[in-house]
Amino acid sequence: MTNSSLEIRELSKSYGSKPILSKLSFAIPSDDFAVICGKPGNGKSVLVRLIMGLEEADSGKVLVRGEDVTNSEPGSRNIGYIPQTFALVPHFSVQKNIEYPLELLNASKEEKAEAVERVAELLKITDLLAKKPEQLSGGQKQRVAIARGLAKPTDVYLLDDPLVGLDFKLRERLIDDLRVSQEKLGVTFLYVTSDSLEALQLAKTVLVLANGTIVQQGPLADVYDNPTNISTLDTLGFPEANLISGEVKNSVFESSTFSIKTNIKGYSGPAVAGIRPESVLLGKSPDAVVLKAQVTLMENLGSEIVSYLKVPGTMLKLVVSRTDNEAIKALNSNELSIFMKLPSIKIFNKQSGQWVGNGVSLV
Amino acid sequence: MESPLFDIKLNNLTKKFDSFTAVNNINFTIPKSSVTVLLGPSGCGKTTLMRMIAGLEKPTSGSIFFEEHEVTRVSTRRRNLGMVFQYPVIYRGTSVKRNLELPLLSEGLEKQVINDRVHKVAELLGISDSLNKLVEELDNGTRQKIAVGRAIAREPNIILFDEPITNIDINSKLELKRSLKELFGRLSQTIVYVTHDQTEAMTLADQIALMQDGVITQCAPPSEIYSKPGNQFAGWFLGNPGMNFIDKKHLTKTDSTVGAPTLFSQTLRVGARARDVAVLGIRAESVSVSTKEVSGAKPARVLRKSLGIGGQYLLDLDYAGLVIKVRVSHAMGREVSDKVWTTVDSDNISLFDENGVVV
Repeated sequence: MTNSSLEIRELSKSYGSKPILSKLSFAIPSDDFAVICGKPGNGKSVLVRLIMGLEEADSGKVLVRGEDVTNSEPGSRNIGYIPQTFALVPHFSVQKNIEYPLELLNASKEEKAEAVERVAELLKITDLLAKKPEQLSGGQKQRVAIARGLAKPTDVYLLDDPLVGLDFKLRERLIDDLRVSQEKLGVTFLYVTSDSLEALQLAKTVLVLANGTIVQQGPLADVYDNPTNISTLDTLGFPEANLISGEVKNSVFESSTFSIKTNIKGYSGPAVAGIRPESVLLGKSPDAVVLKAQVTLMENLGSEIVSYLKVPGTMLKLVVSRTDNEAIKALNSNELSIFMKLPSIKIFNKQSGQWVGNGVSLV
Repeated sequence: MESPLFDIKLNNLTKKFDSFTAVNNINFTIPKSSVTVLLGPSGCGKTTLMRMIAGLEKPTSGSIFFEEHEVTRVSTRRRNLGMVFQYPVIYRGTSVKRNLELPLLSEGLEKQVINDRVHKVAELLGISDSLNKLVEELDNGTRQKIAVGRAIAREPNIILFDEPITNIDINSKLELKRSLKELFGRLSQTIVYVTHDQTEAMTLADQIALMQDGVITQCAPPSEIYSKPGNQFAGWFLGNPGMNFIDKKHLTKTDSTVGAPTLFSQTLRVGARARDVAVLGIRAESVSVSTKEVSGAKPARVLRKSLGIGGQYLLDLDYAGLVIKVRVSHAMGREVSDKVWTTVDSDNISLFDENGVVV
């Protein structure tokens, strides 16, 4: 692929005998907002360090703008970097902090001024330029850190979980500003996070990292609707998907919660049924799995209510809108039934994580 | 649990740290036998306010009453409170049972009474099976439950919670939240709970006291504070995303009506205060979206599409320069391409004045 901003080919890395990344590959076209989403401990930070050149891979290649940089110095890779922690120089003003990476590149005074103006406007920190880091709130510091990363004149930026630890409302604003920044700059963003909601709100392309490799990649909506791996369903979605362990025999999925016929061909053995919370519906329906349920907690998110329901053998999550009065009335009643349409029940091979089929009929 | 019912009254309560005013002249009553959540961003004064109720911080001015008794200068120990903090306060190297007993032993209660209380508290918190375990054997969510148990075992009049879920690991958070919700339903004490987490507040509270810059800007039940915010701050702070705000330049006003012709076709009958309206507030889910032209609906360009809670789509819509966020179902979101038509129900529009206060 020649039009890729960033391409990773079969990258592997172990620490001692512990494999962290194994034959990980992906390619990101230019001008994309790509998000790598993986649960904590899946090797995200190691991947970031390998792309930046701060660590050496055991095998595999890193290509930036079509050029093999696997053995190049970090500085020569020309990737903008936005770290997780602010790391601002305390005795520099905000302006000086933003200029600093440009100074290292011997930028002229005009170039520096132009870059500062541009990123300060994008991140809405123009009025903070004269201040020192100690005068800023946590959210403002992270805005400055992001601005500093974006000030570097390049076309590929790596954002390493930059909103982690910020409170919810600060994140909401920064998510908007990051999306607008990427569009206005017309550059490639590779954003790494373990926060599912962040990935869903930011990504044009999403890459799911699990077990040291990218298990699925594609346009956000396609990946969300058609998970080919259990890790995709488990990682990408808020609230998290419902997972029910069981066994596939003669195309029948059996578990202590329900048993259904599936369209699975050529697989028998341990399996997991995955159902998104929005596919668990209140009431009864023919040709659907119907279960008696008991509410154990209703979490109020404002616009939605997430209910945690006890059903035979497991706990299920369900989402209803605050304006759905009938649903809320049902959730407060003692006799509660829920149903799941068969095609919305996706079955995965428990060992490999691969999708093997969907529900088709009741047993 | 049997206990006299106490309300808490705060009169002109102020706390200054040097030149910084953390709590600014608050007058507020916390009703008895209810769960009041102090909610707000970091630095809003919620923890300082709770610490003054607890007697851990001395007010700069003002007074605190528990029922008719002034307690402003009464020591923490004599206020008869239970307290639960961010990190579980428990005795390591001892059993769960011992941890629950210890606060009762110092009260000089009879052995049988202590034993009954310990079992009652363990049952309330769902930890009866763990009574003989060492606290080291338990995850930190269960340890926090023990800390809660220690606070309620003495049967105080008032129980204070300072972000008890914030530092609990993600796997135990939900169970702790569930357990607290159930517990709050069964206790008759006055409960004051501090958090910055809106979901926690909306889930646990009978009423939310929303704080900003040292003052309580609104106090109301969760559903009311969400759907009828008393000010712009409440509209923004609660909800993901927060409320959309439509500013003056998009509004048309008469002496009794307000409209926003780029966004919706109807005019809102406001009455005498129409001229005071400076900003409209609309929740993302209050906008009805169609992919086909509908009479009376306003056209908008789809700037961005993303996914949100429960697979719903969030759309950034542009009405000739006015950009708002709307929320649509997953099925509808998939259909949406570059243009949509929308309507807004008049009942779901909040009106704010120049100062951001609801009209």
